[in-house]
Amino acid sequence: MPLYLLAESEPSPGISVMLALLLFIAASVWLGTMAQKAMDQGKFLEGFFLGNRGLGAWALALTATVQSGGTFMGFPSLVYAYGWSVALWIAGYMVVPLTGFAVVGKRVAQLSRRTGAVTVPDLLRERFASPTIGLVASLLIMFFMSFTMVAQFKAGATIMQLAWPGQGVFALSEDATANIDMKFLIGLGVFGVTVVGYTMIGGFLAGVWTDLFQSVMMVLGVMLLLCLVVPKAGGMEQANKTVIAQLTEKSAAEGIGDDVYVATPAAYMFGPGYHVGGREFLPLGVAVSMFVIWVYSGLASPASLVRVMAASSTEVMRKSILLLSFYNCLIYIPLVMICICARAILGDIAKPDEIIPRIALYSTQELPLGSFITGLILAAPFGAIMASVSCFVLVIASGLVQDIYVRFLRPEASGRELRLVTNVAMVVIGAIGILANLKPINFLQALVVFSGSAGAATFFTPVIMACYWKRTSVAGMLAGMLGGFGVYFGLYVTGWVHNWALSVDPEQATAFSQQILSLLGPDLKMGLASAFRPYFLLNLDPIIWGLLASTIAGIGVTLCTRPPGQDLIDRMFNADQPTQTIHIG
Amino acid sequence: MTERKDDPLLKSAQREALICGAVWILATAYSVGYSWLYGYRRPIESLTYVFGLPDWIFWGVVIPWLACTLFSAWFCLFYMSDEALCEETTPD
Repeated sequence: MPLYLLAESEPSPGISVMLALLLFIAASVWLGTMAQKAMDQGKFLEGFFLGNRGLGAWALALTATVQSGGTFMGFPSLVYAYGWSVALWIAGYMVVPLTGFAVVGKRVAQLSRRTGAVTVPDLLRERFASPTIGLVASLLIMFFMSFTMVAQFKAGATIMQLAWPGQGVFALSEDATANIDMKFLIGLGVFGVTVVGYTMIGGFLAGVWTDLFQSVMMVLGVMLLLCLVVPKAGGMEQANKTVIAQLTEKSAAEGIGDDVYVATPAAYMFGPGYHVGGREFLPLGVAVSMFVIWVYSGLASPASLVRVMAASSTEVMRKSILLLSFYNCLIYIPLVMICICARAILGDIAKPDEIIPRIALYSTQELPLGSFITGLILAAPFGAIMASVSCFVLVIASGLVQDIYVRFLRPEASGRELRLVTNVAMVVIGAIGILANLKPINFLQALVVFSGSAGAATFFTPVIMACYWKRTSVAGMLAGMLGGFGVYFGLYVTGWVHNWALSVDPEQATAFSQQILSLLGPDLKMGLASAFRPYFLLNLDPIIWGLLASTIAGIGVTLCTRPPGQDLIDRMFNADQPTQTIHIG
Repeated sequence: MTERKDDPLLKSAQREALICGAVWILATAYSVGYSWLYGYRRPIESLTYVFGLPDWIFWGVVIPWLACTLFSAWFCLFYMSDEALCEETTPD
């Protein structure tokens, strides 16, 4: 029987969560207006989309590589459900500060200044003097970002809906199935208008500063919880022992079968962990893949690259590495410890997503202003979602304005005209985000992961080639981008077909579905238990194959095509070049 | 033919990128390797604790994490070089 230690009599977060959310919104709008003052000094596009390339170390460290929204919201529930193997799952973050800033950071910042580029497609276009590369990159980025943005709109609206006083539920989870009612629609409206509004006022810096604000809140919350929760569990070792005792009892009582969601103590304490239906949480191939995925997304995703482009100097990048290294130390392992202790204290809870809200409420109830502190801890993910939506709206708008409007329609547009076009673009994007969520799709969360990693698979190798390899040709770049994307996407499609074939009742199996099964083999028992799962070729995540394909295609095609002209190489690679700044606006 | 000189930033960035790549591969190999050898598929009775953490988590995740953090600190404070990013035009 599930044991709800906090059952009906538990303190309810009530109005304080709503208050904390409103505080976050107010703080963000205030940050937006501050940001506007900061950017008004320069040229419009550079100011609005890059904050005049003036990001300091704190802003760069805590916003460029922390993929806050999804990571922080889903992560605690994973630890709660799967135990210690999740520590290895996230361990790739140990090298993210280094790889995020020291692999391409300096070069990207330099090239973007040398070419006057404001967006990633801009940068690639100028680097190769090829409008085709710019257009392809721009379309791919807008494609990836749109999925993620629509999903984040839903997450923001769901949180506002759940924070409604008297709602009863208090997992501020983006995965919670939202009832589409008035509260959801109002939440959607408020969320959409606020985010687009403050992004419109403050541009790039508004999102960055909100992100910084929530990152600081997050680390304070984690440290506070760690100090409260570990003693309550009787120390870390005792917490482990309590969990083992609970699981021994539970697995003896309920047995372990395909449909039973019970971890054995060994599966909870050791790798590869467990998953519903005998799936393994972290087989060797996935463990290696995770080290690649985290590094990937911190290094090559367009959202991260744009922030590196905005760094004010190399000194800022160096300091960012230091800050982010310590920040990551304070976040990830402590969060794992908190969740293990929380499991020891709270025992079974019906929804793993609620683990952080519940433990926060439980452990702060004796403190003065306890429920308000909980509210602030719970509002931090909301801030993260606002910040990432702001970033996506901005990247998509910059794509439409800079890569399409300025390039193809009105190269001579004035600053005022560009500001108007940008505002219109952002309102349209916001409206799409809202409209797409009037009938929200359930797979969107999986789509976020899909589009994030697809973006990395597409740009990782090409960006490194663009930075360091003089020989890289236009065709090589295109092959690298499309090859990575194609293979990654292909493995997802293969996965969908495979999942469909697996789901066909053996008695009604057709020749076609049997052929698929004989080709792709039985269920690999890894990955999510959902129809959206990709095909894990040789037990590796598709992102590994995407990277490989992108590298082979990029290098191979480059070697088979003519090298770029010496003039272009001189401009991009040699010292003492006159600045090639393109004045726009 | 005139002598072409590579940008100093290009050289230092390239060197630093190679070092970071090596650290990444080392960290992955050690962390996943150690965990695979000593943290996978063990009977629960064999579990011991280091500072309250399961032994394999301490040696396979926490220690390399601390090592990476210390290395990153040394790398960014004492190894990475500063360079002018551009002959910057002043904003008008």
